[in-house]
Amino acid sequence: MELFAIPLVFALIALVAPKSKVNYVGLIGAVVSMVVSFIHVANFSPDQYVSLFAPDFMLPFGLTFKMGYDGIGLFMVVLTNVITSLILLSNLNREIAHNRAFNALVLLMQFGLLGVFTAMDGIMFYIFWELTLVPIFLISYWFGSADRKKPLMKFFIYTFVGSLAMLLSFMALGTYSNSFAYEDLLAAQLTAKTAFWVMCGFFLAFAIKIPLFPFHTWQPDTYTVSPMAGTMLLSALMLKMALYGMVRWMIPIAPEALDTLSCLVITLGMIGVVYAAVIAIKQSDIKRLFAFASISHVGLIAAGIMLFNKDALAGAFIQIANHSLVALGLFLAADILERRMGTRNMYDMGGVAKLAPKFGFWFAAVAFASVSVPLTSGFIGEFLLLKGVYNYSWIVGLVAGTTLVLGAVYTLRAYQISMFGAPKMEHFADLTWNEMLTFFIIMLIILVVGIYPQAIIDFVGPSLDLTIESVKGAKVIVQ
Amino acid sequence: MDALIVIFVSGIVAMFIAMTHKPLLVLATALVGLSVGIGLMVNQWYNPYLLFDYNGLAFGRGEVIYSVAAMTFALLIIAGGYTYFKREPEHTGEYISLILFSLTGALCMIGYTDLFMFFIGLEILSIPVYVLAGSKKKDLQSSEAGLKYFFTGAFATGILLFGTAWVYGATGTFDLRELSNILSEGTANGPLLFVGILMMMASFLFKVGAAPFHFWGPDVYAGSPNIITGYMASVVKMAGLYAFLKLFTYVFAPVSDLWSGALFGMIVLTMFVGNLSALRQTKFKRLLAYSSISNAGYALMAPMIISDASLFNLWIYLLGYGFAVIALIVISLIVNDESDDIESYKGIGRKNPWIGFVLVLSVLSLAGVPPLAGFFGKYMVFSSAFATYPILVILAVINSGIGVFYYLRFVMVALSSEDAEQAPVLKPCVLQWGVLAICAIGLLLSGYITL
Repeated sequence: MELFAIPLVFALIALVAPKSKVNYVGLIGAVVSMVVSFIHVANFSPDQYVSLFAPDFMLPFGLTFKMGYDGIGLFMVVLTNVITSLILLSNLNREIAHNRAFNALVLLMQFGLLGVFTAMDGIMFYIFWELTLVPIFLISYWFGSADRKKPLMKFFIYTFVGSLAMLLSFMALGTYSNSFAYEDLLAAQLTAKTAFWVMCGFFLAFAIKIPLFPFHTWQPDTYTVSPMAGTMLLSALMLKMALYGMVRWMIPIAPEALDTLSCLVITLGMIGVVYAAVIAIKQSDIKRLFAFASISHVGLIAAGIMLFNKDALAGAFIQIANHSLVALGLFLAADILERRMGTRNMYDMGGVAKLAPKFGFWFAAVAFASVSVPLTSGFIGEFLLLKGVYNYSWIVGLVAGTTLVLGAVYTLRAYQISMFGAPKMEHFADLTWNEMLTFFIIMLIILVVGIYPQAIIDFVGPSLDLTIESVKGAKVIVQ
Repeated sequence: MDALIVIFVSGIVAMFIAMTHKPLLVLATALVGLSVGIGLMVNQWYNPYLLFDYNGLAFGRGEVIYSVAAMTFALLIIAGGYTYFKREPEHTGEYISLILFSLTGALCMIGYTDLFMFFIGLEILSIPVYVLAGSKKKDLQSSEAGLKYFFTGAFATGILLFGTAWVYGATGTFDLRELSNILSEGTANGPLLFVGILMMMASFLFKVGAAPFHFWGPDVYAGSPNIITGYMASVVKMAGLYAFLKLFTYVFAPVSDLWSGALFGMIVLTMFVGNLSALRQTKFKRLLAYSSISNAGYALMAPMIISDASLFNLWIYLLGYGFAVIALIVISLIVNDESDDIESYKGIGRKNPWIGFVLVLSVLSLAGVPPLAGFFGKYMVFSSAFATYPILVILAVINSGIGVFYYLRFVMVALSSEDAEQAPVLKPCVLQWGVLAICAIGLLLSGYITL
């Protein structure tokens, strides 16, 4: 229980703390919550399920309030806590961090995300899923750039409508099961047709949040107008909710429809990989470039999840962690450039590497991690995913493989244009200690995971095995 | 029943006390009367042997929960609107006692077991509201609202009476229990009965403001004093929808094939008309009016389902809706802007974060964002309808998606940080703070009520 209480309590403290110290209140809240989640990890063996909250009453329509985690859930909980701490750390010296509402909202967001990753009841999952929308909307609305209104409206409506489709799926499931507890939903016997529509409802919600190719139009604008912390929360954590949702909810609940839909989702993912990468190459706005890069990367993860075999799923989880960290680093770098040069246009930048060598080094390190060079976590993740899609079909494997080439092109091009060449300005303040520390921690985790990926695979493996078995079992019954 | 008498008597007492020209005393009388009424009703819940079956009125458990909610809403309305009522001290007593009389009618409409009593209840409910709608005598729009509401309302009442007469002609009884027996035997089925039922349905839909009988809604809502708009949207709707549920879902159930098709069509029409018209509104109360039309559409899905759960589902729905509307209306009183533009709410979240918080809560609850009461109400109504009418639920969900657009626009105006200096200085009084706090608690927690 303390896992959820800490962010909430600190959010309340942040609302009344003095403005000069409120940035530390936020950071301490996130860090304490991170430490608590580490304690949970220490007491956890990967093949167990830990129940956090299981009251013996339920609401008349079947809401049971169950919360708990297995390996997958705890992995996401730790990721959330680490990333939130890093986001607050990277903002520590900014003006925005001295705003009470900002700190409270980030912590509220953390609370919502922890709820999403530990909900073991369909409606609880939905409630937390929607709860995260409010703080991120407010963060972007209050602290975003001047032209934020239209993109944010689009973002909210897009995601809300997607969630409503998911709600419809839950309503349909409710007619097949006594309660919305996870195990009851798993046990529900759906006909192939129902399963198809249920999965479509989930898919719409998740595809908008990820975002997959035809549903991505809200994303670049929203990322661009949001403040740095908002963009980081959106790309590093919010879209992970959808990927997690696919593994935890969409596929195990309606496994009968997996074979029907997997071809479509993989195709959409592949289109996204190539399409977004090509657009990214043509971008001059550095934040937009990284936004499209994000679409390109997550398309591959979504495709890997739809394969639903152990290697691809393990790759997906490694890549989920990797993408969170890399996105954090890249958006931090983009924001540092924007803030200190007053523009997002890469062609107005240049020569920064000479003026600010530390920044040049760390930005380069993150850029290489983004290109997934060996020894970084991205290498293992993308390798497992590519292997999976190659086994599915060699054409898909070939298309997916272009992500490595195109990714290198747009990332290194962005780095080259913005950092090298003749300096366009006389002074460029180098990294402050907290920005440096953020980059350092990001790279540290990326390298550790890159060198010893087995840690993550062992951690989420047993839960993945269970999920895969239940999906296979359900498929056998249908056949 | 005793609660009904207490409320009626406290209305009369309030009217006479008003002669002393001490508004505070009137308010105290009304609040004491309402609190005692609520207490008696709650007592009845715990002591079912108190159930009193007077010819034509009975308060079972279902009636008790609806009555308590209606009385609570009336209490919040009177407390929240007190600053408005006392502006003209010589009329304070009239406002408050008219609301209490109208509430008496609402309770009759909730507790009826007889079509005759139902009709009397409807009249006692409506006539004070006609007067209250036109109570800003020097305001042209308010007079228009009163007159429009009265004429169209009287017409609808006429049709209701006509329909009742046809049903009486076919069955020979006003009593709901006998009516239900006769209908389930099927001996009375015939054009006489069917025409009567459809006429009754039309006038009901008029009262709750469902399309295509909704044209009075926006004008009356916009013209009436704000607090009366709140009363119409919360208490009147609650009484009307519960009366509808009782009559159609439980008594006319055997002939549901006849009316459910028509109701289906009108629900779809209501949702689309309400939501699409709301998209382009720039005035706050007109926005509220169209949102209330679309909400009537969602709420009418509960009576479509012939099941005991419908009663509770509708109650939760109306509870969330009522708290949200009352909170918004009280905030509009605090903002106190004559032009009633949505723009006048600009930046109040910055100026006064607590009011902004309640405003956001209530608008998000109307939009159906979890974990607020509005979400649970919508979920329960929709999900219980899903098994029988999946198409209707899908259309309703699409409409919720459309609704988000205008609700969100309103939130964005209220929370905008630009020009915050120009935002009005807000001075809510203690009573209004109390009402807002109760509404906020209601919005946060009422979704979890189980009985």
